[in-house]
Amino acid sequence: MFRVLRFYIVSSLCSLFFSLPQHVAAQTRHILSGVVRGDDGTALPGASVAVPALGLGTTTETDGKFSLPLPEGPQQVTVSFVGYATQSLTVALHRNQQHSFTLVASTNELGEVVVQGQQTLREKLQSTQMGVEHLSIREAKLLPALFGEVDILKTLQLKPGVQSGGEGSSGLFVRGGGSDQNLVLLDNVLVYNPNHLFGLFSVFNPDAVQSVDLYKSGFPAQFGGRLSSVVDVKLREGDRQKFVTTGGIGLISSRLSFEGPIQQGKGSFIVSGRRTYFDIFTRALNRANAHKEDYSPIPDYYFYDFNAKGNYKLGEKDEVFFTGYLGRDVFGFTSPNGFTAAFTWGNTLGALRWQHVFSPRLTMNNSVGVTSYKYNLGNSVDQFSFNLGSTILDYSGHSDFDYVPNDRHTIKFGAVLTHHDFGVGRLQRSSQDNSVNINADVNYTGAEGGIYVSDNIKASDKLQLEGGLRLTGFQSGTDHYGGLEPRASARYSLSDKISLKGSYALMYQYVHLVSNSGASLPTDIWYPSRLSVKPERSQQVSTGLSFLLGGGQFLLTDEIYYKWSQNQIDFKDGAQIFANNDLNSQFLFGHGWAYGNELYLEKKTGKTTGWVGYTLAWTKRNFPPQLGTTGINNGQDFYPNYDRRHNLTVVVMHELSTRISLTASFVYTSGAPTTLPLGRFALQDIYQGGIQAVPVYPDRNSYRMIPYHRLDLGMVYKLAPSRMGGERDLTFSIYNAYNRRNAYFIYFEQIRDKTTDMVTGYKAQQVSLFPLIPSVTYNFKF
Amino acid sequence: MFSRIIKKHAGFLGLVGGITLLAGCGKLQNDANVPLPYYANQLVAECYLENGKVPALTVTESVPYLDDGQAIAAGSQVLALPNGQTVQLPTDVTVTLTLPGGQPMPLRFSPGVDAATGKYHTHIGSTPLVAQAGQQFGLDVQDKRGRHITGTAIVPTFIPIDSVKYKFNDLTGDNKKAYFVTKWTDPGATTDFYRLQLHKGKPANNTETDNDISDKLFNGQSYAQVTTYRFKPNDTVTATLYHVDSLYYDFRQSTRNARNANGNPFAQPSAIHSTVQGGLGVFSVLVSDTRTVYLK
Repeated sequence: MFRVLRFYIVSSLCSLFFSLPQHVAAQTRHILSGVVRGDDGTALPGASVAVPALGLGTTTETDGKFSLPLPEGPQQVTVSFVGYATQSLTVALHRNQQHSFTLVASTNELGEVVVQGQQTLREKLQSTQMGVEHLSIREAKLLPALFGEVDILKTLQLKPGVQSGGEGSSGLFVRGGGSDQNLVLLDNVLVYNPNHLFGLFSVFNPDAVQSVDLYKSGFPAQFGGRLSSVVDVKLREGDRQKFVTTGGIGLISSRLSFEGPIQQGKGSFIVSGRRTYFDIFTRALNRANAHKEDYSPIPDYYFYDFNAKGNYKLGEKDEVFFTGYLGRDVFGFTSPNGFTAAFTWGNTLGALRWQHVFSPRLTMNNSVGVTSYKYNLGNSVDQFSFNLGSTILDYSGHSDFDYVPNDRHTIKFGAVLTHHDFGVGRLQRSSQDNSVNINADVNYTGAEGGIYVSDNIKASDKLQLEGGLRLTGFQSGTDHYGGLEPRASARYSLSDKISLKGSYALMYQYVHLVSNSGASLPTDIWYPSRLSVKPERSQQVSTGLSFLLGGGQFLLTDEIYYKWSQNQIDFKDGAQIFANNDLNSQFLFGHGWAYGNELYLEKKTGKTTGWVGYTLAWTKRNFPPQLGTTGINNGQDFYPNYDRRHNLTVVVMHELSTRISLTASFVYTSGAPTTLPLGRFALQDIYQGGIQAVPVYPDRNSYRMIPYHRLDLGMVYKLAPSRMGGERDLTFSIYNAYNRRNAYFIYFEQIRDKTTDMVTGYKAQQVSLFPLIPSVTYNFKF
Repeated sequence: MFSRIIKKHAGFLGLVGGITLLAGCGKLQNDANVPLPYYANQLVAECYLENGKVPALTVTESVPYLDDGQAIAAGSQVLALPNGQTVQLPTDVTVTLTLPGGQPMPLRFSPGVDAATGKYHTHIGSTPLVAQAGQQFGLDVQDKRGRHITGTAIVPTFIPIDSVKYKFNDLTGDNKKAYFVTKWTDPGATTDFYRLQLHKGKPANNTETDNDISDKLFNGQSYAQVTTYRFKPNDTVTATLYHVDSLYYDFRQSTRNARNANGNPFAQPSAIHSTVQGGLGVFSVLVSDTRTVYLK
């Protein structure tokens, strides 16, 4: 089947690339450039800048900047952005000219009632980029959320081609890729572990985030280092006009942000923080039950994170930006008899970026950044202590250029260099009297570099091409790797309402996540390509058709993809991954492939907006016999546990009145593959006593759990302004509205007679994680 | 301001909290109908030899996980244990032990319970074994249905426990508890594996702690295994240190991982790494040192 699929995709791509371009008439053109901002001074990424009479237009970059080549003479320029009043202006263009626009918000209520995405459907139809999903934080804030905790990664799971790792998990599995194959960027800095609490929540505070773009295919050449997706999260800039405090009080956490101008419009800042308060309740519960003999105290758990962003204009052509993040999860336990344990993990990152505009045609961004992820697990008994940990620390530098030589070409080029410090495993056991002293510390370094160039070519009114090339390399010790990563995408307009698109991308991944569990855990370790661990490699071709329907109100997109990957990594059974200085010997290597069809209907304007997505997909892996093992699944193909055959999502957002917005989301997915024991045998062990039943697992993931489906409902109710003049709302969510018992996992247990406690047989048990969960969050801004 | 809001909406927030608690009280664990595919029973051998003891082993059959004993193959019978569990015993199996000199020692089919240890066996020898470090024993198990298990085991060297000690915390009453330290010295020339069991009272399967330990991080050094505060005054603690081979260590790890995966969604299930070929099971020679301490 996939041969036919591959033939279809490749032939479609060929037809795109070999279409004859129609020449654009020669004409004197100049570049209109500038920045689009909201009336609070924040840059508006994705705003539309267009000259409707000529059918020309563009959208602003992530920093609100735009650059639009136009014919000489007076031009009626229209600037629009959802949630803001459209602005029209006649610009007399006789040379390259800079002009910035300030749009006035059409609503002043917390910004959460505006439901639309930022990119208009027509622009999406005309873009060469395919397999990309843009999500504004406004959409994410409107949608119902588990425990009322707005989570942009969980919202992305509602998009076609994206699977979650399981009930409530923030993990992303994009087009058959693993959760470690996503390039998660926060203002262009890599985030190694984007999760709190074993993946139940993401690390991104919704008050600090402006937007997120998810690339599933046709990856632009400036991105590299991961195989399956790019999750490009942008923090928002602070208010340039006035000081603003924003926050929220929820069931399990509270948030607070403070932002304001620096030197009256020259810059701005925003700092945000949030913290959970499970531990306050569990400590109270522990105190209340302290007198009970058989009571086991509940360990303390909380997480917190801080975000900061600042920007300052040094002059007409120069601006600097700062981004910082610090997040930690903390587990702590102290037993009444003196045993203590602590487990902490989290990310720290910071970046400084300098932007210089040489001319309206050439912009340069230089940045330096540092990012780290670490965990530390320790306990102590009297004079004895135990400590286990792992760290990854990166220092990186980027230099990126955007060059628009004429109205037919938009060229991007740049370079990136990263130094990695891998603290793969640190284990210490010691005692104060030195009778125990064990130290293991496995460290590696790595250097990763890349240079890239891409050109977006408007070959004709109908045909637009984007070609890119990325050259990457990696060194760890004496091992060197490298490769060329070609990227290409194209769009051909069959009519003004139908576009045919195609793309190809080759990706390398030099840094690998070491995890011998079925899920992403804080104790997972990042490991470099070295010795037998070769860089992971994948290629993806995709093609699709987009239709603008209903007078431009709906966009229907159908995309087919085929992806094949080499040097995929897994583990031997029972692999020892902690503080093992011979970790290479624990790996198994295989290949994988994924293919599918994604159907996506979206509506972004009007009182009712939303989308319907349906994905039909297959993901498979194969790990043949090797290194004295039988491989995985005895060398037979198997489905990884994030493979889902069918996936349907329906998201509806409706503005009932100026004060009330209603939302609903529905998800249906096929059952997840899981590994169940087919047999069991009895084991006595050395001594007499209870005989244990040992499960026998002949095949991996050969059983499928029941289909998953869930309906979530939400409502945003705007309260009357407070006496202090601020804005307030209550956001209600009902997670799992019809209280479906979805399967989280299945296990087998003995059936025992209630009176005699005799074993009478065995049965399967299905465990669900979340029942119906209502929640309410109070949000404020003043 | 927050307190005003909370006071104003206290009734509503209380209602939401109440609904949350009620919803959370629902049953999140339910019986599931899981039709498992066909599973072919395998022979299972479990045999631990010890110097100076009459060799005995148990030969059973693995069964489909949800089987409740109805589907018994010809040549097998079901043994019901006192707690209601059933074990499928093949009755057509011949077992031969090969001694270090190469001479075979047939073990006769004689299901029973060892009076001294309380362990079940299906086959038993007639004379005690002599097992010295470095010697190799062989095992051959076959039934009349074409199933055939073979295996070898080498006698490990004896590693003594250097010392055991304990220390109580400063608390009183039920909170007064001691941790326990077992210390031994690892030989540097070899890669070694250990199993350390701590029992309260007479050693049995209900261990207090049971650890499988590799010398990867302390090769050639003195090593101490420390427990948490878990022993009470007047407990009698027995430490048993087994020096085991890598095959036995792998078998223990794989059975532990397989059991842990049944009920743990984060664990990756492991195939069973048997020390024998042609079926499932373990064939090993046990060499151990023991210390018993009364905690005052």
